[in-house]
Amino acid sequence: MKVPNTYPCAIIIIRIYILFETMAVVTISRQIGSLGYEIGKLVAEQMKYRIVWRELINQAALQAGVPTVALAMIDELHLLGLAPSQQETQAYIEAVDHVILEFANQGNVVIVGRASQVVLAGQPNTIHVRIIAPEETRAQRLADVQHIPVQSALEQVKASDRYRMNYLRRFHHVDWDDPLLYDLVINTARLTTAAAAAWICELIPLNENQVIKQKKEGDPA
Amino acid sequence: MNIHQSHAVKFIHPTEEAFARVLDFYGIEWQYEPRTFPLEWDEDGNVSEAFTPDFYLPSQDLFIELTTVRPQLVTHKNRKMQRMHELYPQINIKLFKRREMRDMMVKYGLYEEANNIRGSQAQVSGDTNNG
Repeated sequence: MKVPNTYPCAIIIIRIYILFETMAVVTISRQIGSLGYEIGKLVAEQMKYRIVWRELINQAALQAGVPTVALAMIDELHLLGLAPSQQETQAYIEAVDHVILEFANQGNVVIVGRASQVVLAGQPNTIHVRIIAPEETRAQRLADVQHIPVQSALEQVKASDRYRMNYLRRFHHVDWDDPLLYDLVINTARLTTAAAAAWICELIPLNENQVIKQKKEGDPA
Repeated sequence: MNIHQSHAVKFIHPTEEAFARVLDFYGIEWQYEPRTFPLEWDEDGNVSEAFTPDFYLPSQDLFIELTTVRPQLVTHKNRKMQRMHELYPQINIKLFKRREMRDMMVKYGLYEEANNIRGSQAQVSGDTNNG
C-alpha cells in the first residue's frame, strides 16, 4: 500500500505541535523571606528556563503607559508613599495579565509573583508552586541579610504579607493562602533551596509526559 | 550602564540620599542626575534655562524629581515640569512633593531630616537641585 507523502509531514507537524504545547511554565508565589525567588532561580538554571520577576512589573507598567505604577508596586512597604489612581492601576493590572500570558506562550519560563498562579490557572503544562516558611524564620533571614533587628524584620514580613494578600484579594478575588491555587506547596523552614528546586525540577518532566500522553490519547490518528 | 549604590555617591541634599537608600533597599537600579534637559534658549540659541531631574530609573524608564519646598513656593518647579512635558512628552517624570518626602523620611527613621523639611529652612533652600 502506498503511503501518502503527506503522512510523515503530518506526524512532524503533530510532534512540533505537542512540543510547543508542552513548553513548561512554572509559577512561583512566595512569601518574603521564604527564599522563593532563590528557588525559582535555581529551577530556571537547572531547566535552562528564563526567570521573570521584576521585569514583568516594569514591562507591564511601560506597556500601560504608567511607569510610576511600577514603582508603587515594587514599594510594598509603602516607603515612597505613592498612590496611583484607580484608572492607572487598572491599566497596569490588565497589562500584567497580558504580559504573563505572553511569557507563558513563549514557554520554558519561571514566572515569580504577580498572581501568575491565578492568571495561568488551569493552563496545561503549568506548575503552580507556593513557597512558604514560618514568620519567625523569614524575619530572621531578613534580619541577617539586611543587618537589622529581628523585630524590624518581623514588621517587614507582616507588611509584605499584608500587601501581597491584598493584591491577590483586590485584583483577583482569591485568597493568597488557598492551597487549591497551587500544585505544590513547599515550606523552606527545614529544606534547602537546592532540595526544593530539585523537587520542582523533578516534577516538570513528569507533568510534561502526562500532558503528551493525554494529547496522544485524545488524538484520533 | 552606570548603576549606583547610595553609599558611593555624594548627594546635594539628604532627601536624595534617603530616596537612593529606598531604591537600593528594593534593588531598583538608578542613576543620579544623569541628564540635563534644556528648557529655554536665548536669542543666540544658548541654553538659558535647564532642568536636571535627580534620578533616572532605567528599568522603569522613569525620571524622578524630589522637592522639599513649601507648596506655595513650588510654582517655579511646577512650571519647569510643565515645560518638560511640553518639550519632551516622551519622557516619563515623577515629582515627589514635600509631604511625600517628609513621610518617606519618617518611615525610614530619618526624623531629624524630616524635621528639617518641616522647618523654615525648607522654604528657602529645600529644593534638591538647582534644576
